[in-house]
Amino acid sequence: MSQYLLETVWLVPCYALIGASFAIPWSPGLIRLTGPRPAGYVNLVMTFLSFLHSAIALQATWNQPPQELFLPWLDVAGLNLTIAVEISSLSVGGLVLICGLNFLAQIFAIGYMEMDWGWGRFFSLLGLFEAGLCALVLCNNLFFSYVILEILTLGTYLLVGLWFSQSLVVTGARDAFLTKRTGDLFLLMGVLAIWPLAGTWNYTELAEWAEKAKVDPTAIGLVSLALIAGPMGKCAQFPLHLWLDEAMEGPVPSTILRNSVVVASGAWVLVKLQPVFALSPIVSNAMIGIGAVTAVGASLIAIAQIDLKRCLSYTVSAYMGLVFIAVGTQQDDAALLLVLTHAVSAALLVMSTGGIIWNSITQDVTKLGGLWGRRPISGIAFIVGTLGLIGFPPLGSFWALMELSDDLWVTKPWLVGVILLVNALTAFSLTREFCLLFGGKPKAMSERSPEVHWPMVLPMVILLGFVLHLPLVLESLSLLPSWASLNKDVALLLAWSSIFGCSISAVIYLSDFIPKPIHLPFKGLQDLLAYDFYTPKLYRMTIILGVALISKLTDMVDRLVVDGIVNFVGLFSVLGGEGLKYSTSGQTQFYAFTILMGVSVLGAFVTWQYWGTQFLNLIF
Amino acid sequence: MQLQYFLLLAAALFCIGIYGVITSRNAVRVLMSIELLLNAVNLNLMAFSNYLDSVEIKGQVFTVFVITVAAAEAAVGLAIVLAIYRNRDTVDMEQFNLLKW
Repeated sequence: MSQYLLETVWLVPCYALIGASFAIPWSPGLIRLTGPRPAGYVNLVMTFLSFLHSAIALQATWNQPPQELFLPWLDVAGLNLTIAVEISSLSVGGLVLICGLNFLAQIFAIGYMEMDWGWGRFFSLLGLFEAGLCALVLCNNLFFSYVILEILTLGTYLLVGLWFSQSLVVTGARDAFLTKRTGDLFLLMGVLAIWPLAGTWNYTELAEWAEKAKVDPTAIGLVSLALIAGPMGKCAQFPLHLWLDEAMEGPVPSTILRNSVVVASGAWVLVKLQPVFALSPIVSNAMIGIGAVTAVGASLIAIAQIDLKRCLSYTVSAYMGLVFIAVGTQQDDAALLLVLTHAVSAALLVMSTGGIIWNSITQDVTKLGGLWGRRPISGIAFIVGTLGLIGFPPLGSFWALMELSDDLWVTKPWLVGVILLVNALTAFSLTREFCLLFGGKPKAMSERSPEVHWPMVLPMVILLGFVLHLPLVLESLSLLPSWASLNKDVALLLAWSSIFGCSISAVIYLSDFIPKPIHLPFKGLQDLLAYDFYTPKLYRMTIILGVALISKLTDMVDRLVVDGIVNFVGLFSVLGGEGLKYSTSGQTQFYAFTILMGVSVLGAFVTWQYWGTQFLNLIF
Repeated sequence: MQLQYFLLLAAALFCIGIYGVITSRNAVRVLMSIELLLNAVNLNLMAFSNYLDSVEIKGQVFTVFVITVAAAEAAVGLAIVLAIYRNRDTVDMEQFNLLKW
């Protein structure tokens, strides 16, 4: 049975697609009688089916070598495009994670979207995302990964733009699409340029090729830089990070998915391409640089935000930066482990805060407070999510960060410093959010704030349990390092950096001796971080300005020069007609004169050979 | 007395006629100039028939025809001028430029 399910695990994306297409009929324009709710239930059932399928398949795949299935797609003129499906414990594990998180997010959405009519559109897009992510995880081919990433980019545009009557949603969806699209287009350049070099798009074959490839370092450097540009946009890395901030205008349940899984889709491609990146030291350094700058920058920005959802979105950028560092230093396992632990913890954090937003209405953390007494479950979920995200033993991310820093301890010690700094800053920012939400005295917006109803609490609690059990799960899968081989210094430093960040933040925000809201001594620096380094202005003054100017210039050239030349021909003909009509003077004698002139000229021309030369000789 | 002189005289007469046709403002004078043209042609015909075809003198027959047709044409021309004069009270050629552009 489980063997059969393993062989048909490629059906998992199809379940979600079926769910997505079944949800569409309950759009308000089609089925008017029932209301939109069945759309959600159908999707929930399909997601649960795919979760069950992949979970059973995961057991069967354990301790088995990876298999590969091939589905022919297109074979034209020497180009053979075959969809390669990889069935390994890793990919099926990815399926379980995606389907599980999607299942929980959909239960959450049934509670959260209770007062909304747009279930058909919302759930079909969630289904599309689930299908896309599952297909991405299964797909073992760079070309089809690119195809799926592009479909997911379109999905992001539609999902962020769900409530399109709000102007910020429209601009946010636009930026999310264009920013990710830019990255994807560079990725396409890389995908196309690696074909003549490697002759294959299959990840496994690419890795084999990369092992003994002798290529021009400049060429492979450029190709690899293009290949990281796609994940850079997907993972919201500097400088393509603004879209994730603006994508927080979308509904919360989709944010759960986006913060945990969707941004990780770029990291997945990155990990898969790691052997290729290892060919060029420039690219590794670029990835480390991008990752480090994003991790530090975004965790600093997260501290300075007052919007609850944006506080969390910058933390996501920061952690994806750590994944970039991990891939840049050739540590795939640490990167994948970090993606896993980050996904569950980030989803838990978004669920906890999403419930608070749902009945406290405001997202402004400075207007919330004193929720701990009345919202214990959300509070505990936030604490566990925080501890699961920062390096706090024995929870998940500690092991991922341990594994990452352990290798760097010897090779690149300054990166350990970056990781510790990011960890401390993230601990600070998450504790700040916790203290502002749950600590202090209730404010006007949080005066009456009951705990949310069961569809939102249930997935939160299930996920909470999973985050708590994650170390045990990892232990049983023997993915954790043994205590003996543990680098105690690193472990202590990590734990201390977390404690340091948390305690300082708690002291600052829970005590009364610092007046709230807090003002830094340097107003400029606080504003710089709060407005995320003025990235919108930066975009507007560089790329957008350039493209706008070139567009206007091109438009002007089109209107004036190209159109002008064609119009001039027309105008010339009209003017010619208008001018030449005066040759018809109405004077009969003039006509007679014209006839005479015509006859004389023609006669002179015909008879020129008999007298012309003599005539000319006579004159000159 | 040679053929050329006749031809040159006829050509000169033709040119004078053309000049008259193109420059005259009086419609009757235009008709008179046309008569000059026809007479120049007649001179040509007569000269050719005398010097080149003195046996069969086909040119003289042509001349008779030309004179006849010229008389008819002058009659019709004068009738047209009269018709225009009745409508417009003038025979000034420069007043007859109604059919322009």
